[in-house]
Amino acid sequence: MRKLKDNLLKSLIYLSAFITVGILVWILGYVFSNGIGLINWNFISNEYNEKTSYVEVKITNTPLSINQESLNEKAFYNQKVDKPLSDAIYSEKLGIAVMEVEHSLRGKKENQFIVAYIENGSEAGEALDKSGKKIGINLGDVITKIDGEALEGKDLKDLNAIVSGSNESLVKITKPGYGVLTNIVTTLYMIILSLSIAAPIGILAAIYLVEYAKPGKLVNVIRFATESLSGIPSIIFGLFGMAFFVVFLKFNLSLLSGALTISIILLPVIIRSTEEALKSVPDAYREASYGLGATKLQTISKIIIPSAIPGILVAVILSIGRIVGESAALLLTAGTVAKIPESLFASGSTLTVQAYYVAKEEANIQMACAIGIVVIVLIIVLNILAKLISKIFNKANY
Amino acid sequence: MTNKKNRNIKEEAFRYLFMLSAFVAVVSVFAIAFFVFYRGLKPFVGGDHGYSLFQFLSGTEWRPGKNTFGILYMIIGSIFATFGAILIGVPIGLMTAVFIAELAPPSLTKIVRPAVELLAGIPSVLYGVFGLGVIVNVLKNYSPTAQGQSLIAVIFVLTVMILPTVISISETALRAVPKAYKDGSLALGASKIQTIFKIMIPAAKSGIMAGVVLGIGRAIGETMAVMLVAGNPIAGIPTSLWDKIRPLTTNIALEMGYASGLHQDLLFSTGVVLFVFIMVINLILNSLIRKKIG
Amino acid sequence: MADKIKFIIKDLDLYYDTFQALKKVNIEIKENKVTAFIGPSGCGKSTLLRCLNRMNDLIDNVKIEGAVTLDEIDIYGDIDVINLRTKVGMVFQKPNPFPMTVYDNIAYGPRCQGIKDKKKLDEIVERSIVQSALWDEVKDRLNKSALGLSGGQQQRLCIARAIAMEPEVILMDEPTSALDPIATAKIEELMETLKKKYTIVIVTHSMQQAARISDDTAFFLSGEVIESGKTIGIFTNPRDKRTEDYITGRFG
Repeated sequence: MRKLKDNLLKSLIYLSAFITVGILVWILGYVFSNGIGLINWNFISNEYNEKTSYVEVKITNTPLSINQESLNEKAFYNQKVDKPLSDAIYSEKLGIAVMEVEHSLRGKKENQFIVAYIENGSEAGEALDKSGKKIGINLGDVITKIDGEALEGKDLKDLNAIVSGSNESLVKITKPGYGVLTNIVTTLYMIILSLSIAAPIGILAAIYLVEYAKPGKLVNVIRFATESLSGIPSIIFGLFGMAFFVVFLKFNLSLLSGALTISIILLPVIIRSTEEALKSVPDAYREASYGLGATKLQTISKIIIPSAIPGILVAVILSIGRIVGESAALLLTAGTVAKIPESLFASGSTLTVQAYYVAKEEANIQMACAIGIVVIVLIIVLNILAKLISKIFNKANY
Repeated sequence: MTNKKNRNIKEEAFRYLFMLSAFVAVVSVFAIAFFVFYRGLKPFVGGDHGYSLFQFLSGTEWRPGKNTFGILYMIIGSIFATFGAILIGVPIGLMTAVFIAELAPPSLTKIVRPAVELLAGIPSVLYGVFGLGVIVNVLKNYSPTAQGQSLIAVIFVLTVMILPTVISISETALRAVPKAYKDGSLALGASKIQTIFKIMIPAAKSGIMAGVVLGIGRAIGETMAVMLVAGNPIAGIPTSLWDKIRPLTTNIALEMGYASGLHQDLLFSTGVVLFVFIMVINLILNSLIRKKIG
Repeated sequence: MADKIKFIIKDLDLYYDTFQALKKVNIEIKENKVTAFIGPSGCGKSTLLRCLNRMNDLIDNVKIEGAVTLDEIDIYGDIDVINLRTKVGMVFQKPNPFPMTVYDNIAYGPRCQGIKDKKKLDEIVERSIVQSALWDEVKDRLNKSALGLSGGQQQRLCIARAIAMEPEVILMDEPTSALDPIATAKIEELMETLKKKYTIVIVTHSMQQAARISDDTAFFLSGEVIESGKTIGIFTNPRDKRTEDYITGRFG
């Protein structure tokens, strides 16, 4: 009877643990299996919106250094995203090869000519637009016109024949979008900006709490504040950021508004972890330093902070994870514009905000999952990094 | 002499710098409360575009176009969803914590604990994407309305999201139970399982409760994941698990982007209601923690 | 004159990882007697005690070789550990009542065995408390928290809790080391009456206590049994020089 009951409860416990792990595996499996098809170098290096421009390519008459067969094999897109429809066709004048492929991005299929190969010595990579800004033709760019003649619908046999310019050729290219470079850069900006606000304040605050403050009303108020902050959901932070930074201070939906809002979210995390790190510095160090005639400030800056650095580093890494994962607060303060922000006052969407946007507004689960892969990999790396640092740190103490 | 004076000035200056930094947190809390309450209470104190507090809190329709703003059905939706998530998530979480703290062989602990940590680290948007792609899709096949977005979908997503909180806090609480209790029980011929359920869990009760309360806070404040699976209707108190709901949080996030005037202010009012919920939860949490110490 | 033997410990080795805590221990423990294990800290006496109801099983990386038999049954063989622990009760160094009422503390063990009948439980609780000489002190507060009792009362409650299981043996791991002299005296008195019914094994730091209450004594030093036998013999006429040194207070 007792055995039966014990075994029943035991299997419930095992089942629960299995469910917990199973859910994680399910989520990861779902995200990876749906998103992995989109993950390639282009996904990481392309911006979200495609960009079309006219560029001038110097004519170099560079002969092809490999034969047609290996050209076809090398053709960039051959084994990547799209279905090739033709051989790669090489132009000595431009020093590039194009290939007709079937694009199937964003649900619709269309035939396009893409840059499949760039020969050594070609000037295509250095191409400038009319205003003299370097754009460069890269592998995977779509070519729509050469010297005024549209390629669409043509059965290309000879690319050289289309190039009519003698010194320079005017090529209309479209840099493909549908990537997350924009969001990666925005996320990086957000990390740097919010950490450079929150980290100093949080660390200094922790120093005050551990090294200066005496237990009393003042400390209680500060503790109450940090505890309250950690309990507030991010949508409320978003509301505040919206009312204060966006509207009241007129920062608009911008990188700066987002970073300031996130900084407040990060404060309790950084303060608490730094406090732990400072507390773990043995009092013997402090006494030894004072005993040698050092002032309090000297002791803090020369003895205590250096000993606490690994702990502080872990706090910073955990904060990065928090920034990468944050979305609700940013939705209300930094907006969803998928462009690399050009200034502090420009709007921009981080990876997670973008994942939300494509899932909700474009019902594009596949892309949301692909972004999810990038985010999850990032978070796993951060977790491992934090563990490694605390492990090394702990070892050093013994 | 001047040297010493300079040094003292520097010491004092830095002391104030440290103190000032510590006060940023305090100022932030007050600023957050002030701005959210200021904007959120404005519509109810009259002025040129006011709105009745009673109608706001008791209304079951949210139609900004028709100047109708009622959030009662959202409050009820939020409470139902949170309650459901706690009902399913707490037993699973607690049992998983027991597994990690008491039963698992070291090799399995090495799998389960990092899994829980990773679960905590996954951004909420991805839970939403998973909910939309898997849970909603599956539920669609069983729902009488042929709609997957529903109260039950929200409950499932929130259940998963509160698991890491419940697990890690319960695990800490279980580990803090004095070993003497465990030894005493085993020496009396109680089995391991009996010891866990009759001694360990009761002794860790207040810690586990703290985990539950934190879980409630997380569930009621969750926005992005829920927004993708809730359905967010413009009216209607949910009466079945298959009904769509519109939690307080998603109401704010959905419309803040384009709202203005009274509409925007009333989104802040929605935030105030949420804020009050969170404050009550935090007060309960604080008293639980204090009880644990006392 | 031939006392019945309860426990036979034969060539017992015990390792924590690579550290050998017990070395070739051979002892016999007689029924309805008080056997005391004495020796300096870390000599292995508590470790041996915990072998007798397999509490060492709870620690990782413990390796045990040799044999321990209870009534001629190998307790490290194919037996039910839980069953063993109901037969061999234990009282710990620090009183460890559970955070529940006095009544529930005592009823805990029987309940774990599946006894649900209220009347039977009442009976067991009363009998156990009476046997542990605690009745007069707690009869009015059976439904109050056990944590409100004094240290000495708590320890007697733990003894009562062990008795409630009607064990054959009671192991006591320095049961009075956390108590004041008056509480200690009460527990020693209690042991005197308990040994009529139970076999008692006690680990103690105090040689006076061993001399006062035990019938047999085993002296331990760094994992080995140096000497064991009748208490009176060991204290008046130790065979080993090290035993003599310890008893006369030259070390430890």
